[in-house]
Amino acid sequence: MKEFEPHHRQKLRIFSIIVVFCVLFLAISTRLFIYQIVDAEKYKQLARKQYEKKFILPAVRGCIYDRNGNVLVSNTQFISFAADPKIVGDKATLVAEAFAQVFQKPSSVYLEKLQKDPSKRFVWLERHVHPSVVQRFDPEKIKGVVVINEPRRLYHYDDIASTLIGMTDIDNRGIAGLELQYNSVLHGVDGSIVMQRDGAGRIRPSADYPRIDPVNGCDIVLTIDITYQSIVDEELKRGVEFYQADAGVALMLNPKTGELLALSTYPRVNPNELGDVDVAMLRNRAITDIFEPGSVYKIVTAAAAYEHKLVNPMDRFYAEKGKMRIQANGRDLRVITDTHPSEWLSFQEAMEISSNIVFVKVSKLIGSERFYRMARDFGFGMQTGIDLPGEVRGILRKPNEWSPITLQSMSYGYEVGTTPLQIACAYAALANNGILMKPYVVAEVRSPQGDIVQSQGPFPIRKVVSPSTVELLTRALEGVVERGTAKLVHLGNVRIAGKTGTSKKWVEGRYVESTYTASFVGFFPIEDPQIVCLVMLDNPKTPVYYGGATSGPIFRAIAERVVSTSYKFSKSVVIHSRNEIRSRVVPDVRMLTIPIAKKLLASYGLEPTIYGTGTLIMRQSPEPGTILHQGDAVSLILEQNASVHKGLVEVPHVCGMSLRRALNRLVLDDFEVKIHGTGKVISQTPNGGEIVKVGSRVMLYCEQHSIDRKKQTIASRE
Amino acid sequence: MQRNHIDIWVLVVVLALMVLSLGVVYSASAEWAYKRFENPSHYFNLHVIKVLIGFIALYVGLRVPYTIYKPFTKPVLLIACIFLVVTLVLGGEVKGAVRWIRLGGLGFQPSELAKYALLFHLASLIATKKDLVRDWKVGFLPMLVWISIVVVLILLQPNLSTAVVTMILGSLLMFIGGVRIVHLVLAGLTALPVIVGYLILEPYRLERIRLYLYGVSNGKTNYQLMQGILAFGNGGVFGVGIGESRQRDLFLPESYNDFVYSIIGEEYGFVGAMLVLLAFAFILFRGYRIAKHAKDDFGRYLAYGITNAIVLYALVNASVAVGLFPTTGLPMPFISYGGSALLMTSFATGVLLNISAYTDLRPRVSKTADGYNMHEQQEGVGKVY
Repeated sequence: MKEFEPHHRQKLRIFSIIVVFCVLFLAISTRLFIYQIVDAEKYKQLARKQYEKKFILPAVRGCIYDRNGNVLVSNTQFISFAADPKIVGDKATLVAEAFAQVFQKPSSVYLEKLQKDPSKRFVWLERHVHPSVVQRFDPEKIKGVVVINEPRRLYHYDDIASTLIGMTDIDNRGIAGLELQYNSVLHGVDGSIVMQRDGAGRIRPSADYPRIDPVNGCDIVLTIDITYQSIVDEELKRGVEFYQADAGVALMLNPKTGELLALSTYPRVNPNELGDVDVAMLRNRAITDIFEPGSVYKIVTAAAAYEHKLVNPMDRFYAEKGKMRIQANGRDLRVITDTHPSEWLSFQEAMEISSNIVFVKVSKLIGSERFYRMARDFGFGMQTGIDLPGEVRGILRKPNEWSPITLQSMSYGYEVGTTPLQIACAYAALANNGILMKPYVVAEVRSPQGDIVQSQGPFPIRKVVSPSTVELLTRALEGVVERGTAKLVHLGNVRIAGKTGTSKKWVEGRYVESTYTASFVGFFPIEDPQIVCLVMLDNPKTPVYYGGATSGPIFRAIAERVVSTSYKFSKSVVIHSRNEIRSRVVPDVRMLTIPIAKKLLASYGLEPTIYGTGTLIMRQSPEPGTILHQGDAVSLILEQNASVHKGLVEVPHVCGMSLRRALNRLVLDDFEVKIHGTGKVISQTPNGGEIVKVGSRVMLYCEQHSIDRKKQTIASRE
Repeated sequence: MQRNHIDIWVLVVVLALMVLSLGVVYSASAEWAYKRFENPSHYFNLHVIKVLIGFIALYVGLRVPYTIYKPFTKPVLLIACIFLVVTLVLGGEVKGAVRWIRLGGLGFQPSELAKYALLFHLASLIATKKDLVRDWKVGFLPMLVWISIVVVLILLQPNLSTAVVTMILGSLLMFIGGVRIVHLVLAGLTALPVIVGYLILEPYRLERIRLYLYGVSNGKTNYQLMQGILAFGNGGVFGVGIGESRQRDLFLPESYNDFVYSIIGEEYGFVGAMLVLLAFAFILFRGYRIAKHAKDDFGRYLAYGITNAIVLYALVNASVAVGLFPTTGLPMPFISYGGSALLMTSFATGVLLNISAYTDLRPRVSKTADGYNMHEQQEGVGKVY
């Protein structure tokens, strides 16, 4: 190896050092070039992400009201506990024990949450508990635990109407029923605020981004009447339990408008007390479950027969002594039996005792094409279009897909699939002089300020049958209740038309013996039908399972209570009750003097009890139309300065009351109430003290802002 | 010896960096200072004092003829070593390492003193032994022993990065001084097991290296480095502006010290970061030029050593900030917050400038009756009075 001159050697060595330094300089410059020019955008984005934190300002979910303005669903503030396991750190045991003590759960539950995944910076410890719970904690013991305000739905009537209303999940999003169907309307639009954040997690508002205020959700007003709904819910529950059915459905429509007045299923859940909910329980059987309707479907056969003038009520048919073989191509295909074997029956009688054999015979007169068209016109095989989620179409096959005996089967309600709502709608068409209405449940959508954003009214779909057919059918259906299979439904004070149905259940490809769907559907009062009501029981296990013996009495109980609670029916009831000496319906004694009232009540076999002083009776309890036993007491409430005549009533002062209180007060005197806005009542027309006719309209003007819209607090995690 | 003008541009660049450091340190430390002391200028106030002391040190270095130091290099190095020992015994702990002793109100890092004392003494040894440095026993071994003593004492603090850099600086000076490469390689081979053993002794050191290697191979980086890189990216070409750094808002730990370069990159952009880099490149070339033209060997090696120290620190600090090297705690000369390093670096810069005054690079202008005339003072040209 050659030795360099010392001077030359040093030069070389220094040169090599400079080269090394220069390589480093270049390497650093290259990195800078990449970070600051090539990939700068990427890093800027990443950096911005950590400087800015977006907080959601949740919109307040809209409330749900019934047709009379009663609040069904509103919001309440609950609190949730969350923790950052990293901050809690070794105090986890202490925190877990504090929670265990307050919530009465083993501390291991909380300890696991806190220690399961140490990399997680956020875990829920308890969600949606009452705000007062926080006071039961020793603040020293739960350092590092964050309390977050969370809005939660408050269902004012617990399980009443729960099937219809549905519910929200823990994040306040609709998951079933109207909460789901109208989720976007109810939810509103969440706002947001961008906060500047530093490395220590401290935040301050950002000036660079505007605050986006939330747009609160709209309120919805239902066609539901909570009074009817409660009755239906209660009676269905009682009925399902009494007849040991697997499940039950009941629903009520206003036939003239298609408004859904009540809809109930049982079993149902209480949305305020949610544990582990079985999703199947949340479905609305009235629109999602298909069943073979059985005899209630005979309305289609009868309608077709009358409409095409093929049959008169008095036409007689031989009922084969309860047993008839159906043959096609010389082979026995089926034996049709009647529950009540007869020889000769008029068509009216066949309807009343629900003779399958006669209806099979009539269906031959009608023919496939006309039968199919009538079924379709009643709305079978397609959705009714109600504004509820999950509605199915049912099954109605076209005639070219029919087997040789399909027509015969369909004539008494087999080989078709219908939903309870479709059946109810078909009967509603009869009650509405032959015009099928589209059923609906949301009447109005109101902005948070109380303006009507969207409204829905009656929508006629088509004329199904002529008025003359309606008259014949109504007579036939009234006969069913008066003399036929539904005698148990008969009410003394109101004329009811209806039809029973009992069908074998088709389970896994065959009809199962002693498993039945029992139903009753009807409407009343016949003179001016106000209510269509359907009751259906799934597999009642009492020895008598017929629709007339199970669903019928439930219908009757519902009808009885509905008639008694409303002034609307009392007129027709009073007119009717004159001919019905047997009834013990409470007469209307309001605005009568005490002696006259006493005399009147005595003639009905009822005992008056008088409260207050004065000469005129202002209010009575129970309401007129209620059915009581002989000797029951009727409370009469007097008012001293009552200066009104019969049929007139003084408008109460409701200004300054909360909307709900005002409504309750006005409804008590049978006023029709129109509401503008929400919150406290600030003015009313007519004014308090004015004398108006009973049943007059009272307009209420309320504060524009709402009661339940508490200022939202940002759940800061600082 | 003739005293001429100093290399004024080196002085200008260094002063510019020190002024820049005032702004950067304030911006980078305010949030941290507020968080810790509820006073945003806590660190800044201390830094101003340190910069002023730095100016004084620089001036002292500049005024005192460097030749004076030669006889004292050995005693000063001994004292520095004693300080290191004292620190080990008495010193206060900072982040788990004993690096400081307290003198009056201010902490002092003896490793900074020891580093320069070593370089001074090595320069003296090389200048004295001349060609004998190529002899193992007479030349190489004494230097190796001194380097080893200082490096081991710093390692014991424990302060790996400073120890390694000190070792590299010593080796570089020996390399320039003309020692045999074989000797250097042998010494290096001996040092290797020591360093490896040292790494294994404390798991966190290995972990840091592992993280670094992992990051290199996976494109992932540790939190501090990632925040530093975000700062660079956020700065873009021209930067977010003076005092506008967002990364300093408690995102980037040590933003006013080890990662001050990231804040420069954020506030002054690619342009600013490159200018700072170029400033050190300038110091490298001017420092080597001064060394090359130094009047004597002691001055020459001293200039090489000081230039190496300044530039190597700057390069290591910048490399750490951009993720080229594993994260260490070495300050950026003239810019980072930190007293001892600033004091010693300023003094050393003064010495470098003093050496430059004895070169012929910028001859003194003499006054004549006609006014000012410049006279080339190259070899062979007679002096003019």
